Amino acid sequence: MGPVELLHMSVFSQSFSPCGRFLAAGNNYGEIAVFSLSAALSPDASQASQKPILNFTAHDGPVFSLLSTDTHLLSAGNGEISAWSWAELIKKSTKAAWTRKPSYETSLEIPEINAMIINPKDNSLIVGGGDNNIHIMDMETGIFKSVLKGHTDYIHCLCFKEREEEILSGGEDGAVRIWDSRTNRPVHCIEVFKYEECARPQFGKWISCLATDSDWMLCGGGPSLSLWHLRSMSPTSVFPLPGCQREAVFYQDLIMSVGEGPHVSHCLHGGTVKAQIPCTPSSLNTLALNLKNTEHRVMTVGGSSHQIDVFTNFSYKAFSLSF
Amino acid sequence: MSSDAVKKRKPKVIRNEEGTPETKRGRAEGEQDVLVYHEEVELEGRDPQQDYLLYKDTCAALAKLMAEIQELKSSGAKSVEMEERRRQCSVHFITLKKLNRLAHMRLKKGRDQTHEAKQRVDVLHLQLQNLLYEVMHLQKEINKCLEFKSQHEEIELVSEEEFFQEAPAEISRPHVTRDDHHQLTLARLDWELEQRKRLAEQYKMSLARKEKIHKAIEQKREYLSSLQPGLQNIMQASLPVQECLSMPFEQMQKQAEVARHLPPPLYVLLVQAAAYGQACDKTLSASISGDVDEAKALSRPPEDSQDDESDSDAEEEQQNTKRRRATVGVQLDDKRKEMLRRHPLSLCVDLKCKDGSVLHLFFYYLMNLNILTVKTKVSTTTDLSGAVSAGELLNSESLLNCLYASDHGQETPNPTNRYQFDKVGITTFADYVSDLGHPYVWVQKLGGLQFSSDGAQVSCDVALSASHMERTMKLLQGRLQARLALHKQFSSLEHSIIPVSGECQHLFPAKVVSGLTRWTMMSYQEFTELGFVQHVLKAGLLRETDLFFMAVVERGTARLLAAVVVNPRYPEVMPLFSLSLHWKGERSGRTEDNLRAMESEVNVFRAELQGPRPGFQLLTNQIQRLCVCLDVYLEMESQVCDGSEGPKEFPREKMCLRTARGPSRLKPFKYNHPQGFFSHR
Repeated sequence: MGPVELLHMSVFSQSFSPCGRFLAAGNNYGEIAVFSLSAALSPDASQASQKPILNFTAHDGPVFSLLSTDTHLLSAGNGEISAWSWAELIKKSTKAAWTRKPSYETSLEIPEINAMIINPKDNSLIVGGGDNNIHIMDMETGIFKSVLKGHTDYIHCLCFKEREEEILSGGEDGAVRIWDSRTNRPVHCIEVFKYEECARPQFGKWISCLATDSDWMLCGGGPSLSLWHLRSMSPTSVFPLPGCQREAVFYQDLIMSVGEGPHVSHCLHGGTVKAQIPCTPSSLNTLALNLKNTEHRVMTVGGSSHQIDVFTNFSYKAFSLSF
Repeated sequence: MSSDAVKKRKPKVIRNEEGTPETKRGRAEGEQDVLVYHEEVELEGRDPQQDYLLYKDTCAALAKLMAEIQELKSSGAKSVEMEERRRQCSVHFITLKKLNRLAHMRLKKGRDQTHEAKQRVDVLHLQLQNLLYEVMHLQKEINKCLEFKSQHEEIELVSEEEFFQEAPAEISRPHVTRDDHHQLTLARLDWELEQRKRLAEQYKMSLARKEKIHKAIEQKREYLSSLQPGLQNIMQASLPVQECLSMPFEQMQKQAEVARHLPPPLYVLLVQAAAYGQACDKTLSASISGDVDEAKALSRPPEDSQDDESDSDAEEEQQNTKRRRATVGVQLDDKRKEMLRRHPLSLCVDLKCKDGSVLHLFFYYLMNLNILTVKTKVSTTTDLSGAVSAGELLNSESLLNCLYASDHGQETPNPTNRYQFDKVGITTFADYVSDLGHPYVWVQKLGGLQFSSDGAQVSCDVALSASHMERTMKLLQGRLQARLALHKQFSSLEHSIIPVSGECQHLFPAKVVSGLTRWTMMSYQEFTELGFVQHVLKAGLLRETDLFFMAVVERGTARLLAAVVVNPRYPEVMPLFSLSLHWKGERSGRTEDNLRAMESEVNVFRAELQGPRPGFQLLTNQIQRLCVCLDVYLEMESQVCDGSEGPKEFPREKMCLRTARGPSRLKPFKYNHPQGFFSHR
């Protein structure tokens, strides 16, 4: 990676290890880098500890999604999913445990995989991507058991409601679809851009971020980031954030979101933007919170830069990890 | 005695004592027998003791008479008794006078005797002194004689045994000399003399022989010098033959002759360059230029020049005391000039390219600093005055910048120069570079000069020069060709035509609507002030030695500004583009992910864009790709449902499967040939 390549690198996905001491990040060149958080957060951390302990090319295309199970790191490349054992990665071995491809209809262009989530109830992996469909794979057997069709354009983001066992998906077509995971049937379809409070026609209609917290749903993208009450299927608050948001999470009583613009936005449920914390990349793609490990409880964000900002106190940037 | 009283007076006049009656009597007796009465004679007969007693008696009688007179006078006596007594007194007086005289005479006699004795003693004393002196003198003489070293002792004589062996009998005379040391020495001296005479004879004969041989040599020399013009004529006559056969012996000889006076680094460079030219690259030629006499003057033996210097110094000082001394600044200036002095000879290496243009390299050697510098000149077959923006490309100051990475040639590579500069107050060598040439590191290496950072021994290493020669020459040729290619491309670009060669047509679709409307050069200052290049500046990817350009691509109302950084080592290093789009607002690669993707498309994919070797198409391909990407962007972006109805400004003409992909919803910028559609990377 020469300096020019680094200049044009974007980080698209992040995932913390099950123990919470390592962070894996994927970029647009198809590389996955593993950083040691314990080294970077230790008091005698140096320039070198902000570099990855392991950096390897995992896929041909960009790695748009990373997901950690209890033992493995799942990464999504061009139409394929690879699994890497965390134990092996920590030992710097880059051999994939398995690589599987969902079955695609067209073979002209291999669709990307934008989002992956795990359904803990039946241990299945749900992926959504460029072929407008949601594929569900059984983790144990590795068979793609079902396909959920309905979107008319590619799927940006996926989300799972545990209590009702529902899958939520947001796509380029501007629709948020809710699927029942047991029956694999669509339950609802919300076209966010049709709601005047949220719609932003100057940007477009796509939905690029989804998050749920019991009855609440966050969605945003072309339309403004808005908080929806799912029972009533109506937006309760709309956040006046200028750019298009790409990822949003519920954290305690805050909503944190990243997207266009070099900052992390802290918002309150009421619809006010509490703070906008500046970061290094000029626009952000991914936000991750390390809640598994109380020692290394950090938030990391990555975007259009080869640097990943680490927040130990969520109110300001502590340092940056660098590819 | 009293009757003598009157007569005594007379003799007193005469010197000899003649006052006695005997004297008179003596005179009376006759002239024939002058009997002089010497009272001294009488003196000898008298005894001083008796005289003393007589004196005492006389004094007593006188005293008695006086007393009687006194009595008579006091008693009033008769004058006859008084007269009697007076007469007796007178007689006594006379006696006293005589005694007095005698006493005086005795005294005188005594004195005379003493005097005489003294004289005698003195004479003896003197004689003694004389004798002593003479003794001393003689002693000294004897000593001198004893100390006398005869010259003969300084002559080294052969040892005795040798002498007895070698000398003929009449000289050595053993029967005599064995006993008598003096004779032996004499004999030895004789023998020595004889030997010397013999040797002197031999010496004279040798001198005569030498003279003869000298004369013979002179004659032969004259003969040879008479040959010289003849040879010259032959050489001259053979020149056309040499040229015909392309074996320029004479030229090479002349060059070799001059080359002897080159300083070692230039010599190494010349030899290596000539060797390389002969062996590998016929387009390279090397020649020497400069003042040979000055060079010879420099290499004159140091003692002579030191004498001259001291003389001239003395003269100068005399002059200086008369004139006002030059100011300190002028002196410093002179010292600086002296330090930066170039060797009078310089090397000229010409590299010819296939199209006929020539890169002239002039190498100079700075004597006091022990570094080589280079100046360049490009001569082309065609006139290159077309492009305005290409002004910097063939600028001789910057043509050879960064031939090897970070070899700027602004500072001297020799660490000891730092101390030399401090002495004469030169802060940076960069001020003198335009005058003296650039001291690139590769130039030093070609001359075999290697400087390590701790200032260790520098020597002319031929192996170093040889190992760098090929690579450097190839780089130089590559540099010239790349610059010429760019020059041509620039003149085209300035006319808004992007010259895409036939081999690279497959990289782009047939129809490219966006067009280049402007291509200008920028300065480093202007460039760094642009807002949308700050990320490049921060990443440390631009330096002052780079070339900066601004390209403007337009389509309809959309205007794309591309700031280009071209490294001097183009095309080894890819030019870097930074974009800013003015269309419905201003966006740059920092604010808009698609523009960033376009930058990436143009900056990162060298293998695709460089075209056929040697990759001079790189820049133009990049610009063409930029236009294609702008087309794609504008057409796809217009499809966004912005709620407005009506005709889109840019109708979609490009074929693609999907307009957006991935979380950043990037447009398809990758062109696939020959299918002709666009896809995502």
